[in-house]
Amino acid sequence: MQDQKTKILLAPAALVFTGLFVVPLSYFFVISFWRIRLYKLVQDFSFSNYVSVFQEYMHAAVFTFFISLTIAIVTTFLAFAIAYLVRFKAGRFGPFILYIAMVTMFGGYLVKIYAWKTILGTNGILNSAMLWVGMIDEPLSWLLYSPVAVVLTLLHFLLPLALLPLVGALNSITDDPILVARDLGATGYRTLVDIILPQCQPGIVSAFALSFFISAGDYVTPRLVGGPDTFMVGNFIESQFVNRLNAPLGAALAFSTLTICLIALALFRILLSRSLAPK
Amino acid sequence: MLSPLVLVVFFSFGSNQNATFPVGALTLDWYRVLFKNPEFWVGLKNSLVITVSVGVLSTVIGTCAAMGITKLKSTKANTVISALSLPIMMPPLVLALALVSIYSGLGIRMGVHTVIMSHLVFTQPFVIVIVNAQLANFNFASVDSARDLGASPMRSFFDIVLPNIRPTIIGAALIAMAISLDDFIITFFTIGNGMTLPTLIWGMMRTSLDPSINALGTLVLFATIGFSAIALRITKYQS
Repeated sequence: MQDQKTKILLAPAALVFTGLFVVPLSYFFVISFWRIRLYKLVQDFSFSNYVSVFQEYMHAAVFTFFISLTIAIVTTFLAFAIAYLVRFKAGRFGPFILYIAMVTMFGGYLVKIYAWKTILGTNGILNSAMLWVGMIDEPLSWLLYSPVAVVLTLLHFLLPLALLPLVGALNSITDDPILVARDLGATGYRTLVDIILPQCQPGIVSAFALSFFISAGDYVTPRLVGGPDTFMVGNFIESQFVNRLNAPLGAALAFSTLTICLIALALFRILLSRSLAPK
Repeated sequence: MLSPLVLVVFFSFGSNQNATFPVGALTLDWYRVLFKNPEFWVGLKNSLVITVSVGVLSTVIGTCAAMGITKLKSTKANTVISALSLPIMMPPLVLALALVSIYSGLGIRMGVHTVIMSHLVFTQPFVIVIVNAQLANFNFASVDSARDLGASPMRSFFDIVLPNIRPTIIGAALIAMAISLDDFIITFFTIGNGMTLPTLIWGMMRTSLDPSINALGTLVLFATIGFSAIALRITKYQS
Protein backbone atom coordinates (compact mmCIF):
# COMPACT_ATOMS: atom_id res chain seq x y z
CA MET A 1 0.00 0.00 0.00
CA GLN A 2 2.71 2.45 1.07
CA ASP A 3 4.89 1.28 -1.83
CA GLN A 4 2.04 1.78 -4.24
CA LYS A 5 1.59 5.38 -3.14
CA THR A 6 5.30 6.14 -3.48
CA LYS A 7 5.22 4.73 -7.00
CA ILE A 8 2.23 6.87 -7.98
CA LEU A 9 3.94 10.00 -6.61
CA LEU A 10 7.13 9.25 -8.54
CA ALA A 11 5.38 8.18 -11.75
CA PRO A 12 5.02 11.60 -13.48
CA ALA A 13 8.67 12.54 -12.87
CA ALA A 14 9.79 9.08 -14.00
CA LEU A 15 7.67 9.43 -17.13
CA VAL A 16 9.21 12.81 -17.98
CA PHE A 17 12.70 11.45 -17.31
CA THR A 18 12.19 8.32 -19.40
CA GLY A 19 10.20 9.83 -22.24
CA LEU A 20 12.22 13.01 -22.65
CA PHE A 21 15.71 11.90 -21.62
CA VAL A 22 16.35 8.14 -21.67
CA VAL A 23 14.35 7.34 -24.81
CA PRO A 24 15.53 10.33 -26.92
CA LEU A 25 19.17 9.76 -25.99
CA SER A 26 18.93 6.02 -26.70
CA TYR A 27 17.32 6.75 -30.06
CA PHE A 28 20.03 9.34 -30.73
CA PHE A 29 22.65 6.71 -29.92
CA VAL A 30 21.02 4.21 -32.29
CA ILE A 31 20.89 6.87 -35.03
CA SER A 32 24.66 7.29 -34.76
CA PHE A 33 24.97 3.88 -36.43
CA TRP A 34 22.53 4.73 -39.23
CA ARG A 35 23.25 6.39 -42.54
CA ILE A 36 21.85 9.14 -44.68
CA ARG A 37 20.86 8.30 -48.24
CA LEU A 38 19.25 10.91 -50.45
CA TYR A 39 18.56 13.09 -47.40
CA LYS A 40 16.67 10.30 -45.67
CA LEU A 41 17.63 8.32 -42.60
CA VAL A 42 18.39 4.70 -43.46
CA GLN A 43 18.49 2.06 -40.75
CA ASP A 44 21.81 0.35 -40.73
CA PHE A 45 24.46 -0.87 -38.37
CA SER A 46 27.77 0.57 -39.37
CA PHE A 47 30.64 2.26 -37.64
CA SER A 48 31.31 4.43 -40.67
CA ASN A 49 30.13 7.56 -38.84
CA TYR A 50 32.58 6.92 -36.04
CA VAL A 51 35.32 6.30 -38.57
CA SER A 52 34.65 9.68 -40.20
CA VAL A 53 34.59 11.31 -36.79
CA PHE A 54 38.14 10.08 -36.19
CA GLN A 55 39.32 10.92 -39.67
CA GLU A 56 37.75 14.35 -40.13
CA TYR A 57 37.15 15.81 -36.71
CA MET A 58 40.13 14.74 -34.64
CA HIS A 59 41.62 18.26 -34.76
CA ALA A 60 38.35 19.78 -33.52
CA ALA A 61 38.09 17.18 -30.77
CA VAL A 62 41.67 17.77 -29.60
CA PHE A 63 41.20 21.55 -29.68
CA THR A 64 37.89 21.31 -27.80
CA PHE A 65 39.45 19.00 -25.25
CA PHE A 66 42.31 21.37 -24.45
CA ILE A 67 40.26 24.57 -24.41
CA SER A 68 37.61 22.93 -22.17
CA LEU A 69 40.31 21.57 -19.90
CA THR A 70 41.83 25.05 -19.61
CA ILE A 71 38.45 26.58 -18.84
CA ALA A 72 37.57 23.87 -16.32
CA ILE A 73 40.90 24.13 -14.47
CA VAL A 74 40.88 27.95 -14.34
CA THR A 75 37.19 28.05 -13.32
CA THR A 76 37.60 25.43 -10.59
CA PHE A 77 40.73 27.14 -9.24
CA LEU A 78 39.13 30.59 -9.19
CA ALA A 79 35.86 29.30 -7.77
CA PHE A 80 37.79 27.53 -5.03
CA ALA A 81 39.69 30.71 -4.22
CA ILE A 82 36.43 32.66 -3.98
CA ALA A 83 34.73 29.92 -1.95
CA TYR A 84 37.75 29.84 0.38
CA LEU A 85 37.52 33.60 0.88
CA VAL A 86 33.77 33.35 1.50
CA ARG A 87 34.27 30.64 4.11
CA PHE A 88 37.35 31.89 5.96
CA LYS A 89 38.21 35.48 5.14
CA ALA A 90 35.37 37.55 3.77
CA GLY A 91 33.36 37.82 6.97
CA ARG A 92 30.19 39.72 6.29
CA PHE A 93 30.93 40.01 2.58
CA GLY A 94 30.74 36.22 2.25
CA PRO A 95 26.96 35.91 2.14
CA PHE A 96 26.79 38.88 -0.22
CA ILE A 97 29.18 37.28 -2.73
CA LEU A 98 27.21 34.06 -2.49
CA TYR A 99 23.95 35.90 -3.03
CA ILE A 100 25.27 37.57 -6.20
CA ALA A 101 26.48 34.21 -7.47
CA MET A 102 23.13 32.54 -6.89
CA VAL A 103 21.08 35.36 -8.33
CA THR A 104 23.11 35.62 -11.54
CA MET A 105 23.44 31.87 -11.95
CA PHE A 106 20.19 31.14 -13.73
CA GLY A 107 19.97 34.26 -15.85
CA GLY A 108 21.26 35.76 -19.00
CA TYR A 109 23.23 33.06 -20.82
CA LEU A 110 23.01 34.95 -24.11
CA VAL A 111 23.24 38.35 -22.45
CA LYS A 112 26.50 37.36 -20.79
CA ILE A 113 28.00 36.33 -24.14
CA TYR A 114 26.74 39.53 -25.69
CA ALA A 115 28.22 41.60 -22.87
CA TRP A 116 31.67 40.09 -23.48
CA LYS A 117 31.34 40.87 -27.16
CA THR A 118 30.97 44.55 -26.33
CA ILE A 119 33.75 44.44 -23.74
CA LEU A 120 36.38 42.75 -25.92
CA GLY A 121 35.67 44.36 -29.31
CA THR A 122 38.20 46.68 -30.99
CA ASN A 123 36.07 49.66 -29.89
CA GLY A 124 35.18 47.87 -26.67
CA ILE A 125 35.78 48.99 -23.14
CA LEU A 126 38.91 46.99 -22.51
CA ASN A 127 40.71 48.28 -25.58
CA SER A 128 39.53 51.85 -25.00
CA ALA A 129 40.69 51.73 -21.41
CA MET A 130 44.12 50.34 -22.29
CA LEU A 131 44.54 52.94 -25.06
CA TRP A 132 43.59 55.67 -22.68
CA VAL A 133 46.03 54.53 -20.01
CA GLY A 134 48.69 54.19 -22.67
CA MET A 135 49.35 50.47 -22.23
CA ILE A 136 48.88 49.89 -25.95
CA ASP A 137 49.16 52.06 -29.07
CA GLU A 138 46.42 50.49 -31.12
CA PRO A 139 43.42 48.30 -30.23
CA LEU A 140 44.23 44.62 -29.75
CA SER A 141 42.16 42.90 -32.39
CA TRP A 142 42.80 39.40 -31.03
CA LEU A 143 40.81 40.01 -27.85
CA LEU A 144 37.49 39.30 -29.52
CA TYR A 145 36.98 36.47 -32.02
CA SER A 146 39.70 34.34 -30.51
CA PRO A 147 40.06 31.40 -28.10
CA VAL A 148 40.88 33.97 -25.39
CA ALA A 149 37.40 35.44 -25.75
CA VAL A 150 35.83 31.96 -25.50
CA VAL A 151 37.80 31.18 -22.33
CA LEU A 152 36.89 34.51 -20.69
CA THR A 153 33.20 34.32 -21.61
CA LEU A 154 32.74 30.73 -20.44
CA LEU A 155 34.77 31.40 -17.28
CA HIS A 156 32.41 34.21 -16.40
CA PHE A 157 29.34 32.11 -17.16
CA LEU A 158 30.57 29.04 -15.25
CA LEU A 159 31.99 30.74 -12.15
CA PRO A 160 28.73 30.93 -10.16
CA LEU A 161 27.85 27.33 -11.11
CA ALA A 162 31.26 26.06 -9.96
CA LEU A 163 31.15 28.18 -6.83
CA LEU A 164 28.12 26.51 -5.25
CA PRO A 165 29.40 22.92 -4.83
CA LEU A 166 32.70 24.31 -3.48
CA VAL A 167 31.00 26.60 -0.97
CA GLY A 168 28.87 23.63 0.10
CA ALA A 169 31.97 21.48 0.54
CA LEU A 170 33.86 24.14 2.49
CA ASN A 171 30.89 24.87 4.73
CA SER A 172 30.64 21.23 5.74
CA ILE A 173 34.18 21.35 7.16
CA THR A 174 34.06 22.15 10.86
CA ASP A 175 36.47 24.58 12.45
CA ASP A 176 37.85 22.10 15.00
CA PRO A 177 40.35 20.09 12.89
CA ILE A 178 41.61 23.32 11.33
CA LEU A 179 42.18 24.90 14.73
CA VAL A 180 43.85 21.74 15.99
CA ALA A 181 46.20 21.70 13.00
CA ARG A 182 47.07 25.35 13.59
CA ASP A 183 47.69 24.71 17.30
CA LEU A 184 50.01 21.85 16.41
CA GLY A 185 52.04 24.28 14.31
CA ALA A 186 50.81 23.58 10.78
CA THR A 187 51.24 26.48 8.35
CA GLY A 188 48.24 27.85 6.45
CA TYR A 189 49.43 26.01 3.35
CA ARG A 190 49.77 22.65 5.12
CA THR A 191 46.32 23.04 6.66
CA LEU A 192 44.89 23.73 3.22
CA VAL A 193 46.57 20.74 1.58
CA ASP A 194 46.23 18.21 4.39
CA ILE A 195 42.91 19.10 5.98
CA ILE A 196 40.77 21.31 3.77
CA LEU A 197 41.40 20.04 0.24
CA PRO A 198 40.94 16.30 0.97
CA GLN A 199 37.53 17.03 2.50
CA CYS A 200 36.50 19.15 -0.49
CA GLN A 201 37.19 16.45 -3.06
CA PRO A 202 33.57 15.76 -4.09
CA GLY A 203 32.94 19.51 -4.40
CA ILE A 204 36.06 19.99 -6.53
CA VAL A 205 35.05 17.10 -8.79
CA SER A 206 31.51 18.51 -9.25
CA ALA A 207 32.82 21.99 -10.05
CA PHE A 208 35.35 20.60 -12.51
CA ALA A 209 32.87 18.21 -14.15
CA LEU A 210 30.25 20.90 -14.57
CA SER A 211 32.65 23.42 -16.15
CA PHE A 212 34.31 20.79 -18.32
CA PHE A 213 31.07 19.30 -19.69
CA ILE A 214 29.35 22.61 -20.33
CA SER A 215 32.42 24.03 -22.11
CA ALA A 216 32.93 20.93 -24.22
CA GLY A 217 29.29 20.90 -25.31
CA ASP A 218 28.89 24.61 -25.95
CA TYR A 219 28.57 25.90 -29.47
CA VAL A 220 26.96 29.30 -28.93
CA THR A 221 29.96 30.94 -27.24
CA PRO A 222 32.56 29.88 -29.85
CA ARG A 223 30.14 30.91 -32.60
CA LEU A 224 29.55 34.39 -31.22
CA VAL A 225 32.91 35.38 -29.75
CA GLY A 226 35.30 32.71 -31.03
CA GLY A 227 35.86 33.98 -34.55
CA PRO A 228 36.48 31.91 -37.69
CA ASP A 229 39.37 29.88 -36.24
CA THR A 230 37.77 28.78 -33.02
CA PHE A 231 35.58 25.89 -34.06
CA MET A 232 34.69 23.57 -31.25
CA VAL A 233 33.07 20.16 -31.55
CA GLY A 234 29.68 21.69 -30.70
CA ASN A 235 29.85 23.83 -33.83
CA PHE A 236 30.51 20.78 -36.00
CA ILE A 237 27.74 18.78 -34.35
CA GLU A 238 25.31 21.64 -34.89
CA SER A 239 26.38 22.15 -38.49
CA GLN A 240 25.94 18.43 -39.29
CA PHE A 241 22.33 18.81 -38.22
CA VAL A 242 21.41 22.23 -39.46
CA ASN A 243 23.44 22.67 -42.63
CA ARG A 244 24.33 19.20 -43.85
CA LEU A 245 21.26 17.39 -42.51
CA ASN A 246 23.47 14.51 -41.51
CA ALA A 247 22.01 13.57 -38.13
CA PRO A 248 23.87 10.23 -37.84
CA LEU A 249 27.30 11.83 -38.18
CA GLY A 250 26.30 14.58 -35.74
CA ALA A 251 25.12 11.94 -33.27
CA ALA A 252 28.34 9.94 -33.62
CA LEU A 253 30.33 13.11 -33.04
CA ALA A 254 28.26 13.91 -29.93
CA PHE A 255 28.70 10.45 -28.41
CA SER A 256 32.43 10.35 -29.18
CA THR A 257 32.84 13.69 -27.41
CA LEU A 258 30.79 12.52 -24.42
CA THR A 259 32.92 9.39 -24.14
CA ILE A 260 36.18 11.35 -24.27
CA CYS A 261 34.82 13.75 -21.62
CA LEU A 262 33.80 10.90 -19.32
CA ILE A 263 37.25 9.30 -19.62
CA ALA A 264 38.89 12.67 -18.92
CA LEU A 265 36.68 13.15 -15.87
CA ALA A 266 37.54 9.70 -14.53
CA LEU A 267 41.26 10.48 -14.98
CA PHE A 268 40.82 13.80 -13.21
CA ARG A 269 39.18 12.06 -10.25
CA ILE A 270 42.00 9.52 -9.98
CA LEU A 271 44.71 12.18 -10.28
CA LEU A 272 43.01 14.38 -7.70
CA SER A 273 42.58 11.66 -5.10
CA ARG A 274 46.18 10.45 -5.69
CA SER A 275 47.61 13.93 -5.23
CA LEU A 276 45.52 14.60 -2.13
CA ALA A 277 46.17 11.23 -0.51
CA PRO A 278 48.10 11.53 2.77
CA LYS A 279 51.80 10.93 2.26
CA MET B 1 30.41 38.52 -11.89
CA LEU B 2 28.11 41.49 -12.05
CA SER B 3 29.97 44.11 -14.05
CA PRO B 4 29.45 42.69 -17.58
CA LEU B 5 25.72 42.50 -16.85
CA VAL B 6 25.61 46.03 -15.45
CA LEU B 7 27.23 47.17 -18.68
CA VAL B 8 24.40 45.83 -20.84
CA VAL B 9 21.84 47.55 -18.63
CA PHE B 10 23.88 50.73 -18.86
CA PHE B 11 24.04 50.69 -22.66
CA SER B 12 20.32 50.02 -22.95
CA PHE B 13 19.65 53.51 -21.56
CA GLY B 14 22.37 55.34 -23.50
CA SER B 15 21.97 57.04 -26.85
CA ASN B 16 25.30 55.79 -28.26
CA GLN B 17 24.44 53.18 -30.90
CA ASN B 18 27.69 51.23 -30.80
CA ALA B 19 27.63 50.08 -27.21
CA THR B 20 30.91 51.85 -26.46
CA PHE B 21 31.82 54.66 -24.10
CA PRO B 22 30.79 57.41 -23.81
CA VAL B 23 27.32 56.00 -23.32
CA GLY B 24 25.74 59.24 -24.47
CA ALA B 25 22.62 60.95 -23.22
CA LEU B 26 20.12 59.07 -21.14
CA THR B 27 17.35 57.76 -23.37
CA LEU B 28 14.52 55.26 -23.55
CA ASP B 29 14.68 55.16 -27.36
CA TRP B 30 15.90 51.56 -27.55
CA TYR B 31 12.95 50.42 -25.48
CA ARG B 32 10.64 52.34 -27.82
CA VAL B 33 12.26 50.69 -30.83
CA LEU B 34 11.93 47.31 -29.16
CA PHE B 35 8.25 47.77 -28.30
CA LYS B 36 7.49 48.74 -31.90
CA ASN B 37 9.04 45.50 -33.14
CA PRO B 38 6.17 43.02 -33.72
CA GLU B 39 8.57 40.09 -33.24
CA PHE B 40 9.14 41.22 -29.67
CA TRP B 41 5.46 40.76 -28.85
CA VAL B 42 5.33 37.31 -30.48
CA GLY B 43 8.44 36.27 -28.55
CA LEU B 44 7.10 37.74 -25.31
CA LYS B 45 3.80 35.88 -25.65
CA ASN B 46 5.52 32.55 -26.35
CA SER B 47 8.03 33.07 -23.56
CA LEU B 48 5.21 33.84 -21.11
CA VAL B 49 3.21 30.76 -22.11
CA ILE B 50 6.29 28.51 -21.88
CA THR B 51 7.62 29.98 -18.63
CA VAL B 52 4.30 29.80 -16.79
CA SER B 53 3.44 26.30 -18.06
CA VAL B 54 6.89 24.95 -17.21
CA GLY B 55 6.74 26.62 -13.79
CA VAL B 56 3.37 25.06 -12.92
CA LEU B 57 3.97 21.61 -14.44
CA SER B 58 7.49 21.07 -13.15
CA THR B 59 6.49 22.26 -9.68
CA VAL B 60 3.54 19.84 -9.47
CA ILE B 61 5.53 16.92 -10.91
CA GLY B 62 8.64 17.74 -8.90
CA THR B 63 6.78 18.18 -5.60
CA CYS B 64 4.97 14.85 -6.06
CA ALA B 65 8.32 13.18 -6.78
CA ALA B 66 9.94 14.82 -3.74
CA MET B 67 7.07 13.54 -1.56
CA GLY B 68 7.60 10.07 -2.99
CA ILE B 69 11.35 10.23 -2.46
CA THR B 70 11.00 11.03 1.27
CA LYS B 71 9.27 7.66 1.67
CA LEU B 72 12.28 5.80 0.22
CA LYS B 73 15.32 4.62 2.17
CA SER B 74 18.12 7.18 2.04
CA THR B 75 20.49 5.26 -0.27
CA LYS B 76 17.68 4.58 -2.72
CA ALA B 77 16.49 8.18 -2.44
CA ASN B 78 19.99 9.45 -3.33
CA THR B 79 20.14 7.16 -6.35
CA VAL B 80 16.77 8.38 -7.60
CA ILE B 81 17.75 12.04 -7.15
CA SER B 82 21.10 11.56 -8.92
CA ALA B 83 19.44 9.75 -11.82
CA LEU B 84 16.74 12.40 -12.23
CA SER B 85 19.47 15.09 -12.14
CA LEU B 86 21.40 13.60 -15.07
CA PRO B 87 19.69 15.87 -17.65
CA ILE B 88 21.36 18.89 -15.98
CA MET B 89 24.81 17.42 -16.58
CA MET B 90 24.12 16.66 -20.24
CA PRO B 91 25.37 19.37 -22.62
CA PRO B 92 22.20 21.19 -23.76
CA LEU B 93 23.13 20.81 -27.43
CA VAL B 94 23.21 17.00 -27.20
CA LEU B 95 19.91 16.89 -25.31
CA ALA B 96 18.33 19.31 -27.79
CA LEU B 97 19.40 17.28 -30.83
CA ALA B 98 18.29 14.01 -29.22
CA LEU B 99 14.87 15.54 -28.54
CA VAL B 100 14.57 16.95 -32.08
CA SER B 101 15.51 13.56 -33.53
CA ILE B 102 12.85 11.73 -31.57
CA TYR B 103 10.17 14.36 -32.26
CA SER B 104 10.80 14.20 -35.99
CA GLY B 105 11.20 10.41 -35.86
CA LEU B 106 7.76 10.11 -34.29
CA GLY B 107 6.30 12.76 -36.58
CA ILE B 108 5.45 15.13 -33.70
CA ARG B 109 4.99 18.69 -34.96
CA MET B 110 7.21 21.10 -33.09
CA GLY B 111 6.10 24.29 -31.44
CA VAL B 112 5.50 25.83 -28.04
CA HIS B 113 4.15 22.51 -26.68
CA THR B 114 7.34 20.60 -27.52
CA VAL B 115 9.41 23.34 -25.86
CA ILE B 116 7.33 23.01 -22.67
CA MET B 117 7.77 19.20 -22.65
CA SER B 118 11.50 19.51 -23.24
CA HIS B 119 12.03 22.08 -20.50
CA LEU B 120 10.37 19.83 -17.90
CA VAL B 121 13.17 17.29 -18.04
CA PHE B 122 15.84 19.73 -16.86
CA THR B 123 13.71 21.95 -14.58
CA GLN B 124 12.14 19.14 -12.53
CA PRO B 125 15.47 18.09 -10.91
CA PHE B 126 15.85 21.59 -9.43
CA VAL B 127 12.31 21.46 -7.98
CA ILE B 128 12.89 17.95 -6.61
CA VAL B 129 16.20 18.84 -4.94
CA ILE B 130 14.85 22.06 -3.41
CA VAL B 131 11.55 20.60 -2.13
CA ASN B 132 13.22 17.39 -0.98
CA ALA B 133 15.75 19.34 1.11
CA GLN B 134 12.87 21.10 2.85
CA LEU B 135 10.84 17.92 3.39
CA ALA B 136 13.87 16.32 5.05
CA ASN B 137 13.34 18.77 7.93
CA PHE B 138 9.60 18.23 8.03
CA ASN B 139 8.15 16.21 10.87
CA PHE B 140 5.80 13.67 9.37
CA ALA B 141 4.41 12.74 12.79
CA SER B 142 1.84 15.50 12.40
CA VAL B 143 0.65 13.91 9.16
CA ASP B 144 0.36 10.54 10.90
CA SER B 145 -1.73 12.09 13.66
CA ALA B 146 -4.00 13.75 11.13
CA ARG B 147 -4.43 10.43 9.34
CA ASP B 148 -5.16 8.70 12.66
CA LEU B 149 -7.83 11.29 13.34
CA GLY B 150 -9.48 10.36 10.06
CA ALA B 151 -8.14 12.91 7.57
CA SER B 152 -7.83 11.64 3.99
CA PRO B 153 -4.32 11.61 2.44
CA MET B 154 -5.32 14.52 0.20
CA ARG B 155 -6.74 16.47 3.09
CA SER B 156 -3.68 15.93 5.27
CA PHE B 157 -1.43 17.04 2.41
CA PHE B 158 -3.33 20.25 1.70
CA ASP B 159 -3.97 21.12 5.36
CA ILE B 160 -0.68 20.14 6.97
CA VAL B 161 2.20 19.54 4.54
CA LEU B 162 1.45 22.25 1.99
CA PRO B 163 1.15 25.22 4.38
CA ASN B 164 4.49 24.23 5.89
CA ILE B 165 6.40 23.97 2.64
CA ARG B 166 4.55 26.61 0.62
CA PRO B 167 7.42 29.16 0.50
CA THR B 168 9.80 26.45 -0.67
CA ILE B 169 7.41 25.34 -3.40
CA ILE B 170 6.96 28.89 -4.65
CA GLY B 171 10.74 29.36 -4.57
CA ALA B 172 11.26 26.15 -6.54
CA ALA B 173 8.66 27.25 -9.09
CA LEU B 174 10.43 30.59 -9.56
CA ILE B 175 13.81 28.90 -10.09
CA ALA B 176 12.22 26.57 -12.67
CA MET B 177 10.70 29.61 -14.39
CA ALA B 178 14.01 31.49 -14.44
CA ILE B 179 15.77 28.50 -16.01
CA SER B 180 13.00 28.01 -18.56
CA LEU B 181 12.81 31.69 -19.50
CA ASP B 182 16.57 31.90 -19.98
CA ASP B 183 17.02 28.70 -21.94
CA PHE B 184 18.11 29.28 -25.50
CA ILE B 185 19.64 26.09 -26.91
CA ILE B 186 16.85 23.59 -26.18
CA THR B 187 14.18 26.15 -27.08
CA PHE B 188 15.85 27.08 -30.35
CA PHE B 189 15.88 23.49 -31.60
CA THR B 190 12.51 22.29 -30.28
CA ILE B 191 10.30 25.26 -31.17
CA GLY B 192 10.18 24.66 -34.93
CA ASN B 193 9.46 27.96 -36.63
CA GLY B 194 8.39 29.86 -33.54
CA MET B 195 10.38 32.26 -31.43
CA THR B 196 10.86 33.27 -27.80
CA LEU B 197 12.71 36.20 -26.27
CA PRO B 198 16.07 34.37 -26.12
CA THR B 199 15.79 33.19 -29.73
CA LEU B 200 14.98 36.79 -30.67
CA ILE B 201 18.16 37.95 -28.88
CA TRP B 202 20.07 35.31 -30.84
CA GLY B 203 18.58 36.56 -34.11
CA MET B 204 19.46 40.16 -33.27
CA MET B 205 23.01 39.20 -32.28
CA ARG B 206 23.57 37.39 -35.53
CA THR B 207 22.09 39.85 -38.00
CA SER B 208 22.85 43.44 -37.14
CA LEU B 209 24.15 45.56 -34.34
CA ASP B 210 20.67 46.55 -33.32
CA PRO B 211 21.02 48.62 -30.12
CA SER B 212 17.57 47.54 -28.93
CA ILE B 213 19.24 44.20 -28.16
CA ASN B 214 20.59 45.86 -25.01
CA ALA B 215 17.04 46.79 -24.05
CA LEU B 216 15.75 43.27 -24.72
CA GLY B 217 18.70 41.70 -22.88
CA THR B 218 18.05 43.98 -19.91
CA LEU B 219 14.38 42.93 -19.77
CA VAL B 220 15.18 39.20 -19.87
CA LEU B 221 17.98 39.70 -17.35
CA PHE B 222 15.74 41.55 -14.90
CA ALA B 223 13.05 38.88 -15.22
CA THR B 224 15.37 35.91 -14.57
CA ILE B 225 17.38 37.66 -11.86
CA GLY B 226 14.15 38.92 -10.30
CA PHE B 227 12.72 35.38 -10.17
CA SER B 228 15.92 34.05 -8.57
CA ALA B 229 16.14 36.91 -6.08
CA ILE B 230 12.53 36.45 -4.91
CA ALA B 231 13.06 32.69 -4.73
CA LEU B 232 16.16 33.15 -2.57
CA ARG B 233 14.39 35.60 -0.33
CA ILE B 234 11.37 33.42 0.40
CA THR B 235 13.28 30.17 0.78
CA LYS B 236 15.95 32.00 2.84
CA TYR B 237 18.90 30.27 1.12
CA GLN B 238 17.76 26.91 2.40
CA SER B 239 19.02 25.04 -0.63
